[in-house]
Amino acid sequence: MKKLILTLTILGIVSALSLAFVFEWTTPIIEKHQEVARKEAIMAVLPNSDSYTEVVKDGTTFYEGNKDGEVAMLTSGGGFQGEIELMLGANPSQGKIFAIQVLNHQETPGLGAYITGEDYESNFIDKPFGDYKVVKRPVSNPMEVEAISGATISSTKVTNIIEEAINKMELAYGGGA
Amino acid sequence: MQLLKDFKNGLWQENPIFRLVIGMCPTLAVTNTVVNGLAMGIATAFVLLASEIVISLIKKLIPNNVRIPSYILIIATFVTFVDYFLKAFFPAIAASLSLFVPLIVVNCLILGRQEAFASRNPVHRSIADALGMGIGFTWALVLLSTVRELLGMGSIFGWQILGSWYPPMIIMILPAGAFISLGILIGIMNYISRKGVR
Repeated sequence: MKKLILTLTILGIVSALSLAFVFEWTTPIIEKHQEVARKEAIMAVLPNSDSYTEVVKDGTTFYEGNKDGEVAMLTSGGGFQGEIELMLGANPSQGKIFAIQVLNHQETPGLGAYITGEDYESNFIDKPFGDYKVVKRPVSNPMEVEAISGATISSTKVTNIIEEAINKMELAYGGGA
Repeated sequence: MQLLKDFKNGLWQENPIFRLVIGMCPTLAVTNTVVNGLAMGIATAFVLLASEIVISLIKKLIPNNVRIPSYILIIATFVTFVDYFLKAFFPAIAASLSLFVPLIVVNCLILGRQEAFASRNPVHRSIADALGMGIGFTWALVLLSTVRELLGMGSIFGWQILGSWYPPMIIMILPAGAFISLGILIGIMNYISRKGVR
């Protein structure tokens, strides 16, 4: 009995130590890639701007584009399995979303993972602010979001994250539709 | 001679995909493009090699009752290493394989080889076995993904091979296409090896 516990403990310690070393080595490089990916995502969700500035309002960081009152924000929330992180581009004074781009997620491959696909992300192109309804059929009005088949939970979670984000943005910019 | 036999075993006679039919999750899921298939094959082969070496070295120290959790712990360590490594140095590949990299932990090819080979054989034979199995797994994934990418998108390694006259068969890059092409390939392999016996 003692030997069993000892074996697994030693293995665990050795494994954790070596992974800590690898983690220290790779994390700065991974973060640099994420930084680049974030910049690309901001430019992708702001249709007209060609540069942006970081602004902190109410404790949230916003990326303000240089044209037409465009604002992007990085937001995240719980998904079906882990955290979903996405970039949202919108115009708070007109109350309109331009586009979204999902950056990180842990959803099921082949089902929920399609939240990164164009079919799902295009749901939010030029969408007015408001409360959305996730439907399992093609949308019939602008407040509806078409779910990914087999991944209604992931689709709903992303929609909730976006609703929360636009609330925050509306509060910070005092606008609203 | 023994080493060569151990090595060749995984290439054809006991090829993990076409003969043993194990490790099907990544096989079916990531072989939609050749780049993905190749990257998954190499990542799996690396984990297999590293864990077979470690396990065959410390096999006498691990009590029989906790051998499976010990193996999983060792395999998971190497898989996490590969996951970080890909994210840091090959971010595009890491993004397209995404969750399938951590899932290498539960690839039964890897645990199966520890049980069947590394825990019973000396380290030099384990290395030969891991290399054979790893390369066998990789070539099978590359072959399968070549067929699927060519028929499904008309390209190989992202290079457009077939012209605009070819209407891509979308089903080939969807999960159903994986089953269809794998089934046909296994059939062809069986035909070839039976002919060899005669």
